[in-house]
Amino acid sequence: MAYSDKVLDHYQNPRNVGSLDKDDPNVGTGVVGAPECGDVMKLQIKVDDSGKIVDAKFKTYGCGSAIASSSLATEWLKGTSVDAAAQIKNTQIVEELSLPPVKIHCSVLAEDAIKAAIDDWKKKQGATKAAEAKG
Amino acid sequence: MSQASALDPFAVFGLARSLDLDDKTLEQRYLRLSRECHPDLHRAKDTADCIAVLQRSAEINDAWKVLRDPWQRARALVELLSPGALDRTKRLDPAFLADALELAEEVAMANGDAVPPLRTRIAAALEADFAAVRAELQHGAVDAAARRLHASHYHRKALQDLDAKS
Repeated sequence: MAYSDKVLDHYQNPRNVGSLDKDDPNVGTGVVGAPECGDVMKLQIKVDDSGKIVDAKFKTYGCGSAIASSSLATEWLKGTSVDAAAQIKNTQIVEELSLPPVKIHCSVLAEDAIKAAIDDWKKKQGATKAAEAKG
Repeated sequence: MSQASALDPFAVFGLARSLDLDDKTLEQRYLRLSRECHPDLHRAKDTADCIAVLQRSAEINDAWKVLRDPWQRARALVELLSPGALDRTKRLDPAFLADALELAEEVAMANGDAVPPLRTRIAAALEADFAAVRAELQHGAVDAAARRLHASHYHRKALQDLDAKS
């Protein structure tokens, strides 16, 4: 199976590798895994007060397609709104990277990671607001 | 799922479903079963007979492959006790996954003197996984056992990656 040029590009030069402070209330962290292949993907977003994603980082342990999927996802996330980010579908990643059918689960993992990061951020926002209302 | 896993390997070997099988008993039974229906020794009288012998012999070999490996045996047992358990439990705890990611990084960075203790630690984690699978199955907690089997994949992969480095 040959990887597409875009997959190879992201694999060789992954964008936005790294970590954000997971304890920062403006940071949402999503960690998801595919146990069949032992892949793990951590994706983090930093959101400003207007609901815009100002930074995104990832760390992925897995095959080239999983790394490319998460690298691409962080590129798409940066500068977009949380609401728009929630609309990102794995099929868009499949299309952009020309992933073959056996690698579609990598794009699903990336979509799951985005959703998990957003959920985590929302949960933190809720907790912060509750604390403010209480305080 | 492959066809081999659809069959109950314990039934093929005439053994009770159990995680702990005695290696020697298992091997002896395999040799006996193989002898009983070896296609070369077993001169089939007609074509139907011949196909049946071949099929039986393939079943025995498939069951042997599963039963002889404790991890594959555990997976087969979990699926027999609760079909779909492995599929249902794929979503692992994020905290565990974060640890798995850290371990993968540690493996990637490890070199020289750091490798042997790391290998010992991961091997211990794998052993703990198997002990936990056994304990969960004893309590009838099949889904919990399935989850632990999934978790063990990360430890096995870490060990493979570490061995691939040296």
